[in-house]
Amino acid sequence: MNRQKVLIIIPAYNEANNIGAVLADIKKHAPDFDVVVIDDHSTDTTKEIVQASGINCITNIFNLRYAWAIQTGLKYAKSQNYNYAILMDADGQHLASEAKKLYQTALKTKSNIVIGSRYLKNLGYHCPFFRKIGTKFFANLVRLFTKQKITDPLSGFQCIDQKTIDYYSSCGNYPEYPDANLIIEMLLQGYTITETPVKMKLRESGASMHSGLWKPIKYMVTQFFICIVIFVKYVGKRKAKHE
Amino acid sequence: MNNIFFIILALIIIIYIFYSIRKNKLDVANSFIWILFCIIFLILSIWPTCLDWFATLLGITYPPALFLTIAIIILFIMIFVQSKKIEDLHQKVIDLSQELSILKNKSAKKSHKESNSEKKQ
Repeated sequence: MNRQKVLIIIPAYNEANNIGAVLADIKKHAPDFDVVVIDDHSTDTTKEIVQASGINCITNIFNLRYAWAIQTGLKYAKSQNYNYAILMDADGQHLASEAKKLYQTALKTKSNIVIGSRYLKNLGYHCPFFRKIGTKFFANLVRLFTKQKITDPLSGFQCIDQKTIDYYSSCGNYPEYPDANLIIEMLLQGYTITETPVKMKLRESGASMHSGLWKPIKYMVTQFFICIVIFVKYVGKRKAKHE
Repeated sequence: MNNIFFIILALIIIIYIFYSIRKNKLDVANSFIWILFCIIFLILSIWPTCLDWFATLLGITYPPALFLTIAIIILFIMIFVQSKKIEDLHQKVIDLSQELSILKNKSAKKSHKESNSEKKQ
């Protein structure tokens, strides 16, 4: 059988404190996956740490932020003809052993996108109260628009196949926040999404990109609006497909 | 006599636009709408009663309101076009920077390999 090429994409911005442990974890638990770290123009020693550990590091020429840093990785995956890409965070929340599980689920179910869910099974993840509310809200929104149950639409821990890599990596197809809106869009386009329960840790050090008081509110409002607009965008198209 | 100030202003702006085009600072296609603006401005300052005439034609009792309404509509359209253009450019800049960082990475890997093989020799 032809061996599948799998790439782990880790976008990192000022994660010098966490990235070393994440890379060691991958080397230990998932040694047969290729790894690329997208250094999003960090101002600390993230790049040096990654290069010292002998892992491929792509440095963005200016700060593109989370989503477009991922897209850089996806474009790299496309240029190297990878069959699967696993998106992982650099903050130590996502475990390499679980990444393997995602990949196996993707092989087994042959779905385009596999999402690692914190909530599908209770595996001892205690998340902050407001995050829980947000997740519930967007999960219901996804179910309302697509009639499919996704328990963790805000999870950035995903395994995607070649078709999805091709789609994401073309210009203008990847939104600034690739969460519930992207799930809705992909489902309405006919891509298949499955979820698998994963263990996650809370981040060890540094601040989340959704920290503070104003940012989560802004995030919720704009994401809600974007989800509705995307649903409206596909109303006519979906009907055409059913006929 | 009041109008002389506005006539001079309109003329200065038109001259400045042509100067910018000559210096290749402004695209000819883009300059069209600005020149149109200035010509309307010039006509209105030379012959202000034409605004009253248009207003009565459209049934507007307060002529300056017509002027302001048209100005706001045109500005709104221009801002919308500009914002679409900015979005397009933004997307292209991201695309370019991603492509560049991937290429940089590839060339660095290649030169790294070459230097390694040179060492072995």
